[in-house]
Amino acid sequence: MRRAGLRGEISRASEVRVIAILQAIFSGLALGSIYALVALGFNITYNTTKTFNFGQGEFLVAGAFVAVSGLLLFSGKGLTGNLSPEDVTISRYLLAMVLTIVVVGLLGVVLYYAAVRPFVGATSLSWVLSTIGFGIIIQNSALTIWGPSAMVMPSPLGREVIRVGGAGFLPQEVLVLVISILIILCLDWVMRRTKIGKALRAVAQSKNAAVLMGINVSAVIVLAFVVSSSLAGLAGLLIAPITTASVFMGLSLALKAFAAAIVGGLDNPRGCILGGFLLGLLEALIGLWHAELREISVFLMIIIVLVVRPQGLLGQRIVEKV
Amino acid sequence: MKTYPKTHFLGLLAVATIIGVGPIIFDNDFYLHVAFLVGVNYIAAAGLNVLVGHAGQKSLGHAGLFAVGAYTVALLTTRWGWGPWPAFVASGVVAAIFGVVIALPALRVKGPALAMVTIGFGVVVEKVVSEWQDVFQGQQGIYGVLPLTLGDSSFSTREWVWFAGAVGLVLHLMLRALLRGRFGRAFMAVNTAELAAESVGVSVYKFKVLAFVISAVTCGLAGAITAQQNQYISSDFITFNLSIFYLVIVLFGGKSIYGPLLGAIVLTILDATLARWPDAQHFTYGVLLLFSLYAMKDGLAGAIRSAAQFLFPSLREMPTLPKPSERWKLAREEAIKEDQPMLQARGLYKAYGGVVPTNNVDIDLRAGHIHSLIGPNGAGKTTLLNILSGIIPPDKGSIVFNGTDIGALPPNAVCRLGLGRTFQNLKLFNDMSVLDNVKVGLHSRLPGGFGTCLFGLPSAQKSERAATKEALSILTLLGFREMAYQRAGSLPYGLQRRLELARALATHPKLLLLDEPAAGLNPQETHELTDVIKTIKSLGITVLLIEHHMDLVMKISDHVIVLDHGEKIAEGVPAEIQNNPAVIAAYLGVEDDDEEQELDVGEPSDRSIDFSSLSLPGEKYA
Repeated sequence: MRRAGLRGEISRASEVRVIAILQAIFSGLALGSIYALVALGFNITYNTTKTFNFGQGEFLVAGAFVAVSGLLLFSGKGLTGNLSPEDVTISRYLLAMVLTIVVVGLLGVVLYYAAVRPFVGATSLSWVLSTIGFGIIIQNSALTIWGPSAMVMPSPLGREVIRVGGAGFLPQEVLVLVISILIILCLDWVMRRTKIGKALRAVAQSKNAAVLMGINVSAVIVLAFVVSSSLAGLAGLLIAPITTASVFMGLSLALKAFAAAIVGGLDNPRGCILGGFLLGLLEALIGLWHAELREISVFLMIIIVLVVRPQGLLGQRIVEKV
Repeated sequence: MKTYPKTHFLGLLAVATIIGVGPIIFDNDFYLHVAFLVGVNYIAAAGLNVLVGHAGQKSLGHAGLFAVGAYTVALLTTRWGWGPWPAFVASGVVAAIFGVVIALPALRVKGPALAMVTIGFGVVVEKVVSEWQDVFQGQQGIYGVLPLTLGDSSFSTREWVWFAGAVGLVLHLMLRALLRGRFGRAFMAVNTAELAAESVGVSVYKFKVLAFVISAVTCGLAGAITAQQNQYISSDFITFNLSIFYLVIVLFGGKSIYGPLLGAIVLTILDATLARWPDAQHFTYGVLLLFSLYAMKDGLAGAIRSAAQFLFPSLREMPTLPKPSERWKLAREEAIKEDQPMLQARGLYKAYGGVVPTNNVDIDLRAGHIHSLIGPNGAGKTTLLNILSGIIPPDKGSIVFNGTDIGALPPNAVCRLGLGRTFQNLKLFNDMSVLDNVKVGLHSRLPGGFGTCLFGLPSAQKSERAATKEALSILTLLGFREMAYQRAGSLPYGLQRRLELARALATHPKLLLLDEPAAGLNPQETHELTDVIKTIKSLGITVLLIEHHMDLVMKISDHVIVLDHGEKIAEGVPAEIQNNPAVIAAYLGVEDDDEEQELDVGEPSDRSIDFSSLSLPGEKYA
């Protein structure tokens, strides 16, 4: 009898472990999809202009707070204040999503004209500084408007944990995953199948040839920045109900999204998506084992991947013509 | 370009006076602290400038190296009972070791991926010091770090300012001496064109590691000074923002040896001043950063330079050229006997998937001859040249050059053995002067090790003067000496081609590989090139030439090798080649071709190619 009891305990313990792993995989995928969205944003501007927004994290912050204010506005509470769970309905959340995409997209236009366009093509790294500067301005504007304390943003689906077998999932994680995957599929389709996507890809290959084929290259580049910024804003709106919205949440998320883009292959959108999900999964699984080693192991692994494959997992190797 | 030793000396004296007297006059803790911070930030940025500004490697992880220095001092003095001074020195050494650690993975990657590797390093260090509580005490920090001492008493705030200032001054002098000589040129060469740097004997590997180590040492020392002055260090010091801040100082300061100083002064003071209005601090900082970039595209140093040139037009004048010296002669250690085998390649083979650009090619080059390598487009000529010069390792086969097997050597080693080359697609160091381009060529022929150059010893200065003299005499030989101080990128195309030649000659080659030296040249320039190549031969240099201008090839070659589809189809003296049926077939197609009628090649019975009619000026990539 003792034997059977022991066996039962072991199997229960391993069951708990399996459930924990399942949960980690799911949260990892949800977090990874956030990285993938932001990484795609890096990819799209890198391909078209060889630059990207070093202040992308601040755009993510802007997205989260614009969404908070939007939700407050739609529930008739003004621009700042506290959100209660009943304020956040699905329809208001979707409206807030549209608002975020539009506002942060416009911010992307401003970013492009103020901080990128004057410096594109120059051999200097001015665009690095200027996008950092722009990000600082956004962050501090957010600080002035919304203050330094984190704001709770309830999920439109509530906090009731969904149980599947023994594993529990946050409804917002499901929402994040579903929306991100929809957006990613949609973007992938646009890039491959539509005229505008082909224009984007043509500009990425060669601006001169694209101009000669009658493509409005400057419009395409502005569009790239709009899409890139909107994606960051969207990521902010999606993650805020999980982490709360904070002015300081941008940096580490953007840093990991950048890592995802580089590891997957900055020049390949599908690589960026792969990198995002991989990074999210790794982080969640290592966190299960040793939470404090999460970032150390993730970044060490990134360095190793890059040493083996400098162009990233799905990136294209650029060979200099001699 | 023009150097002002006097101005520099006066400036140095002024700065030294400010550092010396300033702290006595403004005896106010706040001012002293800001001055100290300026010093520390300058120390960190001065080395980072070598890495970012000169070697062109972007790093976003130098907070990690700051941490290495700071924690080395902290642990050595608190745990192992080291004295403050030995610990200070050790922090530089340990940081240097970590510089190598970060350089090795960083060497494999470029651009954004390099940024990622350095970010990764910074994050890993940051997390190690914050999470590994047993050793690094995390956020709580390590107290009781021993401060530097003078006699028996530890430094006062004023003495800290003096110390940081003195370290900064010494660092400035050393880096200035280093960067003005062969090391500075090598860094710039690695920055602008890695392959070209390799092909003139500069090891890209070595110089990237060196740049990382220099930046690591200065950032480590900055960390050590910070920890020792505060007598405390915690993981809160080590943030990604610190890495960004150092990079911003360097980029904002601009591409100049004075850039980091200007950047450190302005940004530190700005930061300290704005700290009085915490609400506006970062906002203003961001706005200033953004708008200063519109006004000063080349950073603060660039803006000051243009302003000075505007106010004092005499600053724009080029330095005067010294009188023409005697004709350039190659200094050879050992004489090379005419007709001796110079290079023997056997069974060279290279495949890219199914494409075989080099298929079992044997090559024999003899000393003192001009060899030509011809063949239709896509025959594999350039690939063969790349294999011979070490840029592409062959899959199979051996290359013996002057008795040394060079098949597995990197290009810089091949070059040092005496095999120079030029590139079909120009690879000049565009932002450097014509003279400096040639001096980079002389790099491996110049004496003067790292220490000699770092301390600006007389021997380094002497070798620098000799280098200028020799470079000028090479330019004289090729007839464009008066262009010496022009920017290489601003030369007309024909002269850029000639500069490639001059740079390759400066490497003191025994064998020179020329990849389409006449591509894009007009008939007059092509004609001049013929003479230039003859001159090169008269210097005792063996030549292997790829060329499409057949009149040129047939006029000057002693021996012609013909490639087609990666295989050697013929070789011999020009007259034989002109009548070789295989060569004619490769160039014009075989006889029963339908197109034969359209190609006006004369009587089918005695087909021979009038190659001169085939050469088109500006052919291929021109």
